[in-house]
Amino acid sequence: MASRRRMLLKVIILGDSGYVNRKFSNQYKATIGADFLTKEVQFDDRLFTLQIWDTAGQERFQSLGVAFYRGADCCVLVHDVNVMKSFDNLNNWREEFLIQASPSDPENFPFVVLGNKVDVDGGNSRVVSEKKAKAWCASKGNIPYFETSAKEGFNVDAAFECIARNALKNEPEEEM
Amino acid sequence: MQEAELHDLSDDADYAASQQEGSASMMRCYSSKLSTSSETEGAEIVYLKDNVAIHPTQYASERISGRLKLIKQGSALFMTWIPYKRQSTNAKLSEKDRNLYTIRAVPFADVRSIRRHTPALGWQYIIVVLSSGRNRKLYTVFSWLVVYQVEQMTFDVACSTSTYDVQLIFINCFSGLAFPPLYFYNGGVREFLTTIKQHVFLVRSVEDTNVFLLNDFQNPLQRTLSSLGLPRVVSIPSMPSTPVLARESTSHENQERTDVGVSDVSASIPQYNGRRRQKFHDPARDISIQVLEKFSFVTKFARETTSQLFRESHSNGFRPLERRKSNQSDDYSHKPSDDAEGVAVQSPVAPDPVEVYVCSLCQLIALCNNASAHLSMESVLGHGPTGIWFSTSIPGNLMPTSILVEQKVPYREHNRDGEAGTNVGTFELISYKEFDKLSLVWGKPRQPPLGLEEWATFLDSEGRVVDSKALRKRIFYGGIEHKLRKEVWAILLGYHTYESTYAERKHQRSIKNIEYETIKSQWQSISAAQAKRFTKFRERKVLIEKDVVRTDKSLSFYDGDDNPNVNLLRDILLTYSFYNFDLGYCQGMSDLLSPILFVMEDESESFWCFVALMECLGPNFNRDQSGVHSQLFALSKLVELLDNPLHNYFKQNDCLNYFFCFRWMLIQFKRELEYEKTMRLWEVLWTHYLSEHFHLYVGVAILKRYRGKIIGEQMDFDTLIRFINELSGRIDLDATLRDAEALCICAGEKGADCIPPGTPPSLPVDNGLLYSQQDEVL
Repeated sequence: MASRRRMLLKVIILGDSGYVNRKFSNQYKATIGADFLTKEVQFDDRLFTLQIWDTAGQERFQSLGVAFYRGADCCVLVHDVNVMKSFDNLNNWREEFLIQASPSDPENFPFVVLGNKVDVDGGNSRVVSEKKAKAWCASKGNIPYFETSAKEGFNVDAAFECIARNALKNEPEEEM
Repeated sequence: MQEAELHDLSDDADYAASQQEGSASMMRCYSSKLSTSSETEGAEIVYLKDNVAIHPTQYASERISGRLKLIKQGSALFMTWIPYKRQSTNAKLSEKDRNLYTIRAVPFADVRSIRRHTPALGWQYIIVVLSSGRNRKLYTVFSWLVVYQVEQMTFDVACSTSTYDVQLIFINCFSGLAFPPLYFYNGGVREFLTTIKQHVFLVRSVEDTNVFLLNDFQNPLQRTLSSLGLPRVVSIPSMPSTPVLARESTSHENQERTDVGVSDVSASIPQYNGRRRQKFHDPARDISIQVLEKFSFVTKFARETTSQLFRESHSNGFRPLERRKSNQSDDYSHKPSDDAEGVAVQSPVAPDPVEVYVCSLCQLIALCNNASAHLSMESVLGHGPTGIWFSTSIPGNLMPTSILVEQKVPYREHNRDGEAGTNVGTFELISYKEFDKLSLVWGKPRQPPLGLEEWATFLDSEGRVVDSKALRKRIFYGGIEHKLRKEVWAILLGYHTYESTYAERKHQRSIKNIEYETIKSQWQSISAAQAKRFTKFRERKVLIEKDVVRTDKSLSFYDGDDNPNVNLLRDILLTYSFYNFDLGYCQGMSDLLSPILFVMEDESESFWCFVALMECLGPNFNRDQSGVHSQLFALSKLVELLDNPLHNYFKQNDCLNYFFCFRWMLIQFKRELEYEKTMRLWEVLWTHYLSEHFHLYVGVAILKRYRGKIIGEQMDFDTLIRFINELSGRIDLDATLRDAEALCICAGEKGADCIPPGTPPSLPVDNGLLYSQQDEVL
């Protein structure tokens, strides 16, 4: 029997401010503090509720993370493939998350990396290659990587399914 | 039961005398033809008395005098009371006040009872209590009257050492709306009653010889009381006044009745068991008067507040205890119960909020009454000139053993001599564990916004604000009409001073415009090549550009692509980030600027008003978030003070960081309210009228309002965030402001002590660098 608790997965989305597409946010406004939306994901005949947390992106709000990241099941790091800085900052976001959320097993805490906005300008303005992103993901313990276009909805569902699987994988055995 | 009431009138000397004076056998006289000679269909004045006054405040000198008339038209009898145009005692009575207080042709069909007060010392007065639910239209008028009365009252009440005095009053007055007491400075209460008796059915209450019932019918309160199984309630006929009182009053009512008339003999005040002897030369300072008055007001507020609570409760899917239990409603009556348990099990009858509320109070009183209940009610009711607040507990359990009455506000020491007895105190009835709790909070009713004409009255001929406090008070209670905001905001925010003249303001505008352009040119002159080497500028600009295009897009003022107003937002914010380079730009600032630009409609003016606002709120955007953190800390302290059960809940659930209120504090509820309401709230906050930190009380008020839901649904931190965020757009600002006002007054000094020095919008404590410069990136 699947435990009730695990049907609800808390997912934190992090990335440089403004790069998280509006689709990930429930209102077209800069997030103040934190908010989340929920998304139902089904796979293997099971229904999961993803609680997708959007927190204020600006660095000076990071001290709030300690409260907002609490109990997270997965962390999604988003960058804009057209902005190198957003990719460079992935490492900061990851470390910041681990500090603030202080998960019990930081080494194996499930992350997912999204290279977003691959649709922009037909890919011509792209500066972060898939290869480069995947290399970084591999160096951080094989973080799953997805290229997405939130605007087009491209790959978003696959990413969410992976998020759910990943979060599940990290659950202690006795919970199964 | 009816018979029992009917016969009871003749045992009173006063009544007997009136019987002789008037037409003797007119007790049941619905017809108009019995006592008057005129048979015309037009109105006829059957009673007229001058110098009948009400006391809007506790001071006799501020009374409003008028003429009381009974008018008969056809078979109906009406009462009117019209204030004199020229008041000898209060020359400043405005037309508005006159209108508010005027009692226009109240049909006696809508009157439930009249309570007569003929104290040995001081003036006679009556309280006219209306039937509930009979005439909605009239009600609004009456309610307003009653409300207004409260507004002007100083709740300077009634500290008595006995619990029992209080309950009399509770029950007595929770029976319906009432007019302010009418004082007969020239006497005439007896004739008044006599005349009424000649025209309408009037009986004396068996429980209280000073109460006369009209249109007597089984009233819900009585059923309610019966349903509680209160001792001495069950067998009593329907009467709003005091089933419990009966016990108290019988022992001394004879004595009271012989004290009719004005004399200098010091005598016991009715309802006070003759235990305390008080000397009051001003009738309005008579404790019993005050308490009665107050509770007659409470009735109105109870209705309003409770219905509000209920409305919200229902929309939240939260069903209050009373409702859940209301299906037992038929099971009232004949269960006299001697123990508190019995009382608690019984349930209210009527779904009408007021009655439910009445019920809960009565239950409480019954509990208080029970010797086994741990209760000490030292001080009763009332606080401040503007609002009262208390919470009451509803027994939700079989074992009502631990009600506490907690003194919430320091009150003056009890002076047991001379003029003792009046005392300011506010209490909160708090129940722990065994009881659900319903809180009632109320402040002054909101006023219409300040308009152009009235604004002019605050200014001298050169445009100076003559009495800034009066202005701030006015705005605090009503806000500002939109077209006037442009002018007043600049002053409220401190961009212009209250003392400035029209000319000085105009001069300052032009000076400041130049200054603004100068600062703006600093970033405008940055070339592309320079920008390439100026990361901080570039990143700020990008951040600002990203935020302004998603700021209040739903407003036509800011919607669409390439909206010039959006560009103004960007320019002002960029200029500000140069004006205050240390602080720079932070998300949330665009939210604060947006309404200012919307109101000021001028770039430079908006900038300087924004600067003035940021003087207070800048620390909200510190990198270490110290400004918000100190506000959240203060908020938690205030909740601890004002809503201990909620505080305990947060504590148990690891929610004491109050991060779920982060957005409230950072941008002053901007995201929580509709645009217009945001502007209204802000101008109220900027008055700093009751407190510089009034927004914290607004926060407490909202939390308190949803406390039942929060605790009832066992919300954890994450759920709370969601819940609080989703309150956005659903907050009733006026009600919240009133709650906040009452809470703020109640908290008093203790509340102020909860707020650390330097908490925004207070200016930072240290005068060194305003903003920390640790911000690496921006």
